[in-house]
Amino acid sequence: MTEEINYSNAIERLEEIVQALERGGITLDETLALYEEGAKLLEFCQQELANAEGKLNEMRLSDIESKLSE
Amino acid sequence: MRGGSEVTTGPIPVGQFVNLVRSTIRNDKLFQNQVITGEITQWKQYPSGHTYFTLRDTEGQISAVIWKGRCHIDPLIEEGSVVVVIANLDVYAKAGKIQLVVSRIEPVNKLGLLEERKKELIENLRNEGLLDRQRTPLPLIPQHIAIITGTGSAALADMNQLIENRWPSLRRTVIGVTVQGDNAAKEIVRGILAARKLSQPEIAARFMQPPVDLVIVGRGGGAPEDLWAFNLEPVVRAIIACEIPVVSAVGHESDLLVSDLVADLRASTPSNAIERCVPEYDYHQTLIQHFYERLDDSTNRLFSDWQNSLQLFQSRLSNAPLKGIYNANQKISQLSNRLSNAVSGKFANAREKLLFLENAIQLIVQKSLSNEAKKLAVIQSALNSAHPRNVLDRGYSMITDERGSVVSNTGDLIEGQQIILALSDGNAKATVDEIEELGEKND
Repeated sequence: MTEEINYSNAIERLEEIVQALERGGITLDETLALYEEGAKLLEFCQQELANAEGKLNEMRLSDIESKLSE
Repeated sequence: MRGGSEVTTGPIPVGQFVNLVRSTIRNDKLFQNQVITGEITQWKQYPSGHTYFTLRDTEGQISAVIWKGRCHIDPLIEEGSVVVVIANLDVYAKAGKIQLVVSRIEPVNKLGLLEERKKELIENLRNEGLLDRQRTPLPLIPQHIAIITGTGSAALADMNQLIENRWPSLRRTVIGVTVQGDNAAKEIVRGILAARKLSQPEIAARFMQPPVDLVIVGRGGGAPEDLWAFNLEPVVRAIIACEIPVVSAVGHESDLLVSDLVADLRASTPSNAIERCVPEYDYHQTLIQHFYERLDDSTNRLFSDWQNSLQLFQSRLSNAPLKGIYNANQKISQLSNRLSNAVSGKFANAREKLLFLENAIQLIVQKSLSNEAKKLAVIQSALNSAHPRNVLDRGYSMITDERGSVVSNTGDLIEGQQIILALSDGNAKATVDEIEELGEKND
């Protein structure tokens, strides 16, 4: 993939991969390559979900401004 | 004129006289707290903070002053505005001038004026090509959302509740600002600026957070004037200048603000913004889980297809008579078992499974099957050397019975039976005279 990987294009690519595997008619090497790519993308997606986890920060404008200028 | 006929008091100094007029006017309720309407001319706001103007209509005019800080002056008021004032009449003794001292001033048809300004702004933005500029796509899984809205507002409570339902632990920073009144536009602009700073990786890193990758700016419903900050140029320009996607989430469905026209996404309400920007955690977990299953199932199915093909091969080869083929058969049997183990084994996770499969299959592939042509050549040469014709060329013969079945054991024969001997260049018919079994089988 030449473009930068993100969750959305990872999901799109995963759909292509599983469809190719579900259709079959490919060689053993191709199967392994697709499986490996799919597993990596799934790991990436799982990581994206994990990275989005955080906490809620609620601050007045002036507080956040003074923190930013520290 | 009190005392006008009293000659004995002499003439009144003019200053005294003006002050007399002044106190008369100031004590007359008719001239105090009057509500007066007119058009503004000679509108001047001085650095001292005082504002001077003339209020006029076709019938007359009068000077007016707004002392510094005495009342709120709507920013819409300017030369030519039609206003309503509440004022006391006074005399400026030094100039002998009567003037209105204004305690309140409001533009007439404020909403009309606002609408006019809004139209002008929209027109300007259109001419600059900013209304149909390229929008930044929203991230499907935002890593850090900045929400700029009223501190402690109902809209914020609604948004937080919705996030709670969709993805409780989604990372977000709420920047509490004033969303109506004179300071609203300035604070919203500063809020957007703060969010932009937090979108820079090096600054976000100082807060141990991933950079902000989505901004929601908005407030709940209210009167049109209450929402007006979102129609003001500074706010609109701040949204346009923001490098990361901005969602405008102001008021109700029916309110259309200029911020809506320039944002990367227009949400009809603050809650709608959450519904459209905050992913549902369960949905995405399930999506990923399904992909895992489909990936495994489809790959397993392909492997088991190959395994079946190998088994078919194996059973065909097992009928072949010669040892070379028997060895090839055994090898394929081993491969088949290994493939079978690789496919049916239980794995803790897909990664482990992947590694195992990779190793097992790659070994197989490298050793025997990596090159389809090589594989075919091996089989072809095995089949060639197994061809009965080659054996016959070496002086052996093949025996068949009358039905053409190959006879390989003495047990298949009876004395006196007719047999056919296949030689390299033809057949010979013969009769079995005597059968003699060997002690052990020799092949």
